[in-house]
This record gives sequence, C-alpha cells and structure tokens, in this order.
Amino acid sequence: MSKQSAYIVGALRPPLRGGGFFSLLLTFALAGACAANAADTNQSQQITEQAGVVMDFKPSPPGSYKLYDIKTAPDGKVLDIDGKARSLSEFTGGRITLLSFIYSSCADPSGCPFAYLVFHNLQNRLERHPEFKGSIRLVSLSFDPRRDTPEVLKLYAGDSGNASRGAPWDFLTTASLHDLIPILDAYGQDVYIDVDPVTKKPLSTLSHVLKVFLIDRNHVIREIYTTAYLSPDVVYNDILTLLMEEGINLP
Amino acid sequence: MPKCNNRFSLKALAAAVSATVALGVVALPTLSHADETACSPFTPLIKGQEDLVYVWTLGVEGIGDGSDKLVTVDVRPGSKTFGKVINSLSVGGRGEAHHMGFSDDRRYMWAGALDSNKMFVFDIGTDPSKPKLVRTITDLVEKTGYVGPHTFYALPGRMMIQALSNAKDHGGVTGIAVYSNDGKFISKHDMPTTKVGGVQGDGYGYDIGINPQKNVLLTSSFTGWNNYMMDLGKMVKDPDAMKHFGNTMAIWNLKTMEPTKVFDVPGAPLEVRWSLKKGDNWAVTATALTSQLYVIKQDKKGEWQAHDVGTIGNPADIPLPVDISITADGKGLWVNTFMDGMTRYWDFHDPMHPKEVFKEKIGSQVNMVSQSFDGKRVYYTTSLLGNWDKKGKDDEQFLKMYKWNGKKLSHVFTIDFYKEKLGRAHHMKFQALNLSKLKPLAAAESQDLDSLKLALTEPKGK
Repeated sequence: MSKQSAYIVGALRPPLRGGGFFSLLLTFALAGACAANAADTNQSQQITEQAGVVMDFKPSPPGSYKLYDIKTAPDGKVLDIDGKARSLSEFTGGRITLLSFIYSSCADPSGCPFAYLVFHNLQNRLERHPEFKGSIRLVSLSFDPRRDTPEVLKLYAGDSGNASRGAPWDFLTTASLHDLIPILDAYGQDVYIDVDPVTKKPLSTLSHVLKVFLIDRNHVIREIYTTAYLSPDVVYNDILTLLMEEGINLP
Repeated sequence: MPKCNNRFSLKALAAAVSATVALGVVALPTLSHADETACSPFTPLIKGQEDLVYVWTLGVEGIGDGSDKLVTVDVRPGSKTFGKVINSLSVGGRGEAHHMGFSDDRRYMWAGALDSNKMFVFDIGTDPSKPKLVRTITDLVEKTGYVGPHTFYALPGRMMIQALSNAKDHGGVTGIAVYSNDGKFISKHDMPTTKVGGVQGDGYGYDIGINPQKNVLLTSSFTGWNNYMMDLGKMVKDPDAMKHFGNTMAIWNLKTMEPTKVFDVPGAPLEVRWSLKKGDNWAVTATALTSQLYVIKQDKKGEWQAHDVGTIGNPADIPLPVDISITADGKGLWVNTFMDGMTRYWDFHDPMHPKEVFKEKIGSQVNMVSQSFDGKRVYYTTSLLGNWDKKGKDDEQFLKMYKWNGKKLSHVFTIDFYKEKLGRAHHMKFQALNLSKLKPLAAAESQDLDSLKLALTEPKGK
C-alpha cells in the first residue's frame, strides 16, 4: 500500500471502518499497492536473486485472485522465546500468520537465510501501515531444538522479536524432537540430519526444503511457498488479499 | 532391498541429537540423478543415479491377476536385482491406468485411471522399494464433473490434476482439479471455452507444465472419453470422432488460475515440457495428429507466442508423436512416434530451429520415454491406451533401458511385461531409496552428504 492510501485509511472516522463502504474503498486502495512502491519491489528482487531464485514477473494485484483453503494448520507443543510452554495454535489464529520452519545455524542461501530476509522485509513493510497492527504476525519455528533453545532464539531474533513491534515476529522452538516431529510431519516439512559420509556421525547441518505457510485468522492454511515461488512481493500481495477478503479489522 | 526412509531406533545416533528420542534410517552409500525434467518444479529432484523405476501398468484380462498395478524395477548399478521387477502392487480391477505424479515432498505417488476415474495414492517414502496403497480417491466426478484424471502435478501441499473429459457428454471439454495432499477437494478450474487473446478456446485438456519463474501454467489438449476409450481402428474411420480432438494450448496466470492467452496448435498437442535452464522462457510440445513440434516462447515484448518449429517424420504416414523428454539443460529432446516404434533425438540448441539428429526403432510400438537428469540413461515403455495399442504380435509390452552417449543408444535390459504376467507398461517415474538426497530444482548445488531423517521412536512403555 502506498503512503497515500494508508493516509486515507487513517483519516476515516471509526464508524466507517470494518466493512461496507470502508471495505470497498480499501479494495481500491490496496489494488494498486504492489505497484506503488518501487523501492520495495527492488528490494524484493534483490532478496530472491541472492537466494538464486528467478522471479521474472509482476505479481498479480492483491484481491485479483482467490486463495483457497488448503488445510487446517496443525497444532503442537512449542516453547516461546521466554521458554514458556505454549500451543502452536496460539500462533496460527486470530491474526493472519506467516509461518516458516528454520534453524538458526542454517547457511544455505536458498534456505533459512532466504526466509529470514523475506520475513524481515515483510515486517518492515507491514509496519509502515499502522492500520495493519494487530492483524498480522510472523512466526519462525526451529527444527533444531537441541541448539535452538529459547535463549539462543532470543539472540537470533534480536529486535525483530520485540513483542511491541507493529507486526510481531514470534520465534518458537520445542522442548524436544518428541514434540517437534509430529509438527513437522503434520505440516509436510521434511528435515534430514546431514551425516559425515565417512564416519557416519551426525554433522551440525540439517537438510530441508524451505516451506513457508500463510495461515488465515481461522487457522486455515491458504498458501504454501517453497524456494521456487517465494518473494516478499508475492507474499505481501497474498497477505493483502486475505485482509481484503475479511474487510480488514482496524485497531 | 534395504529400507531407507523408515523410522526405527538408532540409539547411538540418538544420543547425539536428543536424550529422549532416536533417529531413523540407514544412510545409503550411493545416490542418484533422474526424468526429473518432467516433474513439477515444486517436487525435489534426483540429481544422480536413480535407484528405482515405477511403471504404472494397465491390467489385461487373462494376464496375471488382470489388475492395474504399480510395478517397481530395481535399476541400481551393481545390484543383484538390477533390471528386475522387485515389487508389483495391484489396485484391484481395471480402470485404464495411465499417468502418475509425485507429491511435493516425493513421499507419495498419485496415479490415475482414465475410465474408472479413481486416483490412487501410494506411499513411496516409507520404503520406496515396496510402495503401499494408502488412499483411493473416488470423488473427482462428483466434485468437479470432470472425467479422466490424466496429469498429476504437484503444488506445495496440493496436487493439481488435469482431466481429459466430462461426465455430461464424455467429450473433450474438461478442466483442472486441485486436491490437498490429504486427498480433499480444494478447487476446480474449467479449460477456456471463450476467446482469450483473440483465439477461441476449445475447452480441451491434456497436460500441465508450470514455470514458476514466469508465474505461468501451460496446458495442452487431447480428446474426451468417447474417443480415448474407443478402439483406435474404429475411431480413425469415424469422421465425426476425428473432429473431436483439441487444437489449442493455453497459458494461464498461475496465481489467479485464469487463462491469459489461447494458442492455435492444431492436431492434439500433448506433453508440455519447459526448458529448465535458468532464464529460459520457452516450452515445447508435439502434436499427435499433425506431427509437428511447437515451441511456446516469450517474444521481446514479453508476449507469449506459439511457433511451429519442426516436422516429425512424414506426417502423411501418421507416425503419431506421443511422449517427449527434454534434457535438463534444454539442449535436446527425445520424441517417440508410436506407430513406427521409433525414438528420435532432436538438437534443441536453437529451440526455434531444432533438428532431428538421431533415430532408432525401439519396438513395434513405443509410447513413453524418460531420461535421467544427466541424460545418460533413457527408459522406454509401450502402451498408449488399452484400446489404442496394436494387436497381435505387434502388441509388444515392455520396459527397456538404454545408455545414451550423445551419439548412440546402447541397450541395457528389457523386461517383457506380458512374459512377466504384468500387463501393458505405461507411465514411468524414478525414485531414490534415500529421499534425503533429493534436491530442489532451484537450489544451488551443495556438498553431497549422507543424511538421516529426523525420526521419532516412542520410549518403551509409552
């Protein structure tokens, strides 16, 4: 969304927010959003190029397509950044959620670092629009519970994990593989432990195909991205599409 | 055959990762590359030596148990069972088995039957050498009105299915269905029947090819149930039947699932193959009835255009081009012609001016061709459709493997599917025993390591 359209939204009197006329107006405002900010698009292209991904197309305008219900987002036991036991479902409902599985020591340029850059770009972009506050969250769940303790993830998150951010980014881990593996299986996220071909001992690296899940407020997965089709511009427009679909709840 | 992706306790390794759980799987010493060039870009690839070839096989009355079946062949060099059938899994009954496709994690294989409209989902991840039927989906007609599930093409978390026909008149007007990996219907998308980009859509469908770099989906067109279930000899003598073949291709916006342009491609354009070379912007198909190669390519303005780029054999002889297989670098294309049993290699260094540079007879009839990712191994099967295959002694049914050195094919093995009491050999797909070796299409090459799947063993007593 351009600054101008965000300004229009902010200027509306409260009774007009949340539906009817407001939804219609916002639909028009958001329809031009993806093309409005060339700097965002340039950065989006840089991020995908760094990951070795070619995305040679202009993303479809938000609201010009439908994101279908794929499946209910599976639940599971997780730990938040303070080490508190939580249900994953607490992080996949109530807001539009972007969820990825990562591990903090991943060095694959088309893996976790790529997802991190995409999320970081989206967090900054979404926070420029105060009307989105409370509507969206980002979640990174580690699949390396042995090393990615809550303390480590807190360091990894840095300021991105600050709970007061307009678009909060939750960093989660699990207490053990016992808690983790049912979650990975339910989401269809394969993870392999790399093994030294000679000694057959586990190495510190994990092989995985990057998957990112877009989940609506009702815990339903609406889009799944892999490296071949992940770019900040595409995800941003999909988030806007979900917001348009629900008329957008403003604070 | 060693199991690979099963889960069982491996306590010594477990200690290295977690005190409470164990890891699974014995890592295999070698790996694989494979006809990975026809897979969905969302399916991880075997970029080495394939271990297994699955053959989706039509049951034939009086041959073995008579049922459609998934046949597994060991193709690991040096294996005691190299070139042998190591497993055969019948699905019970005959439904016109045809094509199949991997799920996005390559742990499951979806396979379709064009007459019964059943879609079978096999677990090929737990033990790739022993596929297990885990789901049979029977609601395609009810949910979509489409008939004849043909192409299975993975999207992340979903399966896209191109149908061939419809339940209303069993003609060629049809569409694309999307199911979740759990086997639940998600959406349907009719093939274009209006003018799109100035060309009239005929509503027919056949194959699917996605280019995520361009956010496009390319579709082709064939014919409906009335024709594909008719005896071939009878059909070609029926002028009215011969009018009912697709003459179009369509390019779609992948995100919106809306067709953006229809192309005139007369004569039933069949398989769709995108060049996988990074930055390439073209796909190729072959027309069955008119014996032409077409390239769909972006022009300088970014507009997609269809180009007739070559003639396969002598069209007057009706060689009937069927399956094609593109090399991973987009520089070569195998083209099979069913009627004369020939395979032909085309040089595609210049996709707008390709040239046939090699041909060889594979059998009395030949349909499918699949090449390894490195292009060094080529596999062939024979069956086209149950009622279209040749009769009598010309009805050879086999899987053949050859080595290809860029100049000639060297025969390695033949499995006679009638002698083995299996049936008609149709679609092939490769698999690795160790799924951790699979690589995403878009991924950079990384160090080749053995791997163990993260796996869980419940503590005793729980």
